[in-house]
Amino acid sequence: MIEVRLYATLRSLIPEAPKGVLTANLPEESTVEGLLREIKVDPEAIHMLMVNGVSSSFELVLKEGDRVGLFPPVGGG
Amino acid sequence: MSRQETLAMLKAGIMPARYQRNAGTIGICGQLRLLEGKVAVVGAGGLGGNVIELLTRLGVGYLKIIDGDVFADHNLNRQLLCTEENLGMNKAEAAVKRVAAVNSDVVVEAFPYYLNEENAAELLSGAAVAVDALDNILSRRLLSQTAEKLGIPMVYGAIAGFTGQVTTLLPGDSLVGIYKSFKDNKGIETVLGNPAPTPALAAALQAQEVVKLLTGTGELLHKELLYFDTEFNIFERLKFSKQEDIT
Repeated sequence: MIEVRLYATLRSLIPEAPKGVLTANLPEESTVEGLLREIKVDPEAIHMLMVNGVSSSFELVLKEGDRVGLFPPVGGG
Repeated sequence: MSRQETLAMLKAGIMPARYQRNAGTIGICGQLRLLEGKVAVVGAGGLGGNVIELLTRLGVGYLKIIDGDVFADHNLNRQLLCTEENLGMNKAEAAVKRVAAVNSDVVVEAFPYYLNEENAAELLSGAAVAVDALDNILSRRLLSQTAEKLGIPMVYGAIAGFTGQVTTLLPGDSLVGIYKSFKDNKGIETVLGNPAPTPALAAALQAQEVVKLLTGTGELLHKELLYFDTEFNIFERLKFSKQEDIT
């Protein structure tokens, strides 16, 4: 099981996920890209991508228990 | 008391009364470093107004305030330096008035210009630290590139809605780990706006980074980004895994 955390405006993409937190069951060797396809989130919407709190890439192969954080761009001042 | 008298007192090991409440944390040596510190604040709006206020009260001795914009009604909800009386005034010039009213130890100069490729290096020259208080992604990239060229740190901050993010870039770092691409100049703030507490919170974290940079104390938010989302009381330290993620 992979835990996904959607931040800020990305939460509205999956309104049924409380506070933007959901879990996903994926086949072994799934990548972050595969996860995004599974939960129907467009990679274009994501700027910072964190796996277990560390910056990562869409190509990373996920493992059981990973926590994936998806962040939209923040640019105001 | 003049700036020279303040410096003389500190050099004699005496903490002037106006900095007494800094003594236990910053100390006399730290206070002297702050007063000799030169900081460029780029943007004097939501983030910048708060950063300028804090750096001024801390006693950061030289401030270059860079902003080509003027105050308008829609700034009143959050921009500390914006008042009903100064609508239409240039933000950098309004900042200079505020700094002068709060702390005459601070040497402050207004640069009423937007940062651009032609003026960036000159506007930032002489600064030991650049504070990013901008409101768009492309200007931040220019600021980070200029800070890199000048070999100075940049304290990055950005906000939207309940959300803010702060990190310190040292020479060799860039914004690539934060923004996947630079094709859009704005982020989710166009949807969420910026209510007053968010710039105040992010700016406080930025000012604290400046203090750490100038005094050499504590641990910088370097190669990590402090992300907050106060809607759900989230404060997270996100780490940049490899050099290439942030360079």
